[in-house]
Amino acid sequence: MSELGERAAIGETRVEEARAAEVSGGGSGFTGPSGTKRGFGGWFADTGWRHIVALFALVFALFPVYWVVTGAFSSSGNLSTQQLVPDSLSLDNFRALLSDPGHPPFWTWFWNSMVVCFVTSLGTVVLCALGAYAFSRQRFKGRRPGMLTLLFIQMFPNSVAVVAIFLVLQRIGDVFPALGLGQLSSLTLVYLGGAIGIQTWLIKGFFDSIPHELDESAKVDGATHFQIFYKVILPLAVPILVVVFLLQFIVTINELILAEALLRGNEGNYTLALGLSRYVNAGFDSRWGPFAAGSIISGLPILAIFYFAQRYIVSGLTAGAVKG
Amino acid sequence: MADIVLDHIDKIYDNGYHAITDLNLEIQDGEFMVMVGPSGCGKSTALRMVAGLEDISEGELRIGGERMNERAPRDRDIAMVFQSYALYPHLSVFDNIAFGLKLRKLPKAEVKERVERAAATLDLTEYLDRRPKALSGGQRQRVAMGRAIVREPRAFLMDEPLSNLDAKLRGQMRAEIAKLQNELGVTTMYVTHDQVEAMTMGDRVAVIDKGVLQQVASPRDLYLDPDNIFVAGFMGSPPMNMALTTVERDGDHLVAEFGGARVAIAPQLLERRPALDRYVGRRVAMGVRPEDVKECEEHRDWPSDQRLTVTVDLVEALGSGIEIHFPVPAPRVQSAQTLAAEEARAASDAATPDADGSAGGSSGQAEAPASGQNMWIGMFGPRSFVRLADTIEVGIDTAQAYFFDLDTGLAIRD
Repeated sequence: MSELGERAAIGETRVEEARAAEVSGGGSGFTGPSGTKRGFGGWFADTGWRHIVALFALVFALFPVYWVVTGAFSSSGNLSTQQLVPDSLSLDNFRALLSDPGHPPFWTWFWNSMVVCFVTSLGTVVLCALGAYAFSRQRFKGRRPGMLTLLFIQMFPNSVAVVAIFLVLQRIGDVFPALGLGQLSSLTLVYLGGAIGIQTWLIKGFFDSIPHELDESAKVDGATHFQIFYKVILPLAVPILVVVFLLQFIVTINELILAEALLRGNEGNYTLALGLSRYVNAGFDSRWGPFAAGSIISGLPILAIFYFAQRYIVSGLTAGAVKG
Repeated sequence: MADIVLDHIDKIYDNGYHAITDLNLEIQDGEFMVMVGPSGCGKSTALRMVAGLEDISEGELRIGGERMNERAPRDRDIAMVFQSYALYPHLSVFDNIAFGLKLRKLPKAEVKERVERAAATLDLTEYLDRRPKALSGGQRQRVAMGRAIVREPRAFLMDEPLSNLDAKLRGQMRAEIAKLQNELGVTTMYVTHDQVEAMTMGDRVAVIDKGVLQQVASPRDLYLDPDNIFVAGFMGSPPMNMALTTVERDGDHLVAEFGGARVAIAPQLLERRPALDRYVGRRVAMGVRPEDVKECEEHRDWPSDQRLTVTVDLVEALGSGIEIHFPVPAPRVQSAQTLAAEEARAASDAATPDADGSAGGSSGQAEAPASGQNMWIGMFGPRSFVRLADTIEVGIDTAQAYFFDLDTGLAIRD
């Protein structure tokens, strides 16, 4: 009763405000949530300031993208002469990167990155899903310590261990050159090792939310552990698997520190991030345009994967399993 | 098809909790055995041990004469229906039902034929292409049943399969499952906390409390001849009336002293339960079913020494009869067992708010402790004129009364 009264009072003050605004001549017809007319000041205090914040955030987020895109398509190809609104658009920068005499081996780098990213992401999904299933569904000695170890190791980024990894690969390369320094295969293995911790946790969290009755039901129906994993759990976990794949892909394609340390000196095995970074560093101002063009091309695979994957990233796939 | 034998089964969890103590149960080939008891009494644990989802701490489980303790669930040839149905949400109804058959690598044509036959039995044919989430609760329940029957297993295990359904559907599925089991003749273990399900569905009913088997008997025997005070208080709706009395000898017959009033014990009862003679002068628990409380207005020739004069506290017209509640002067029976039975009833009533019309009456009984009075319930005929606050005479049919030893909780028989 008292709450109703309060609401009525608020409504009245709003009406009064609106009237006051009209009398003062400022009533330009803004309509508030309650349907009453009120002045610009009232609208701004209620809603308008949010638009300002949103606009600011948008500009903050999109300006770098805009800068790279205009950089790639502007005809100058020069960082210092790039304008906020370019005078003319051209594909000169793409030509300089891909076909002009003296262009870098961009497509080799691109292919290298694709191979490394796909193998790493796929491997991460498979290995982490297997590990997560064990951690989520089995009870064994060392389960909790194992999970905590994964978490703690994950807290130190892979690049911290870059010297150690470098030395290990150097030794391995002495015996087995295919997994030594400068090899994409060894880089992929290092990426895989670095990815497993956090992604296993992520997938385990999702597995935990799949009702145990499904496992038990499958068990009684005659399924082995692997069949339960493969036929029941995995299909239900597709959204998180896609997310993990995507995250891993993005992280891997952007990774620079390890690639730089491990692939040093073997230009044919450069990944996109490493190749482009070295390319632009050799002449930052003049090579800015082609670099921006290369960045845009390297973003396309992620865009494509996201486009095809988004229909799998739907929540509520488990709806209907058990009465909710 | 096979019999299931639980031979001195114990379940002790790693944390030391003793969930089941020395459970002995023989389920005949083709029998419908219902296990009933309050929540947390261990009945589901027992079922899961038979399924192989829980380890057996001690004792032996045999299905069809073979020891099963160490066998994986998939090698036990049993099918289980879960309370939550546990349907695979990513599979169609057809694939849900076919799941177990495909795992066993049956030929495609046979899988199809068997799934379609099961679907036809359960009226699911038109839903075979749907996903579980597009089904109603009752249909999901049927798919879960279909998944069990299509396997043609040696035994069905059902863990409260109806408790997620609304009251009307539950009654309907109750009849359907019982009929289906009867037709298929598959040995069935059925767990429920709902005593109505237990009474209506089971060939035999096993009552379990706190991990201990209380009694196994046909629903009729369980109702008419309970072994102990827990079973007596748990089975029946509305529940059995109980009071503390002292058995006294009065000339050539026995009487139950009733807080001042005295009720003569019919000689027929003494013939059936001669052991009562040894309890003369001792405190015992007396139980009377509500239908054995008679309206003297209707039974005018009711023996005058088997009557109580009471004041009606509550009248509930159920249509088919009238439930009258009245306080009796004798104190309530408050042993661990009766409290357990009361709690169990209250819990099961709360879980199944309108299992049937009479369940409402029993919750009234559960509230009685607040007033401190011992409320009894009588079932009168539908044409009774008894009204609230009337003082009436009720006849106690002591020939059908029950007496229990207060120390052991066991029925006093012979």
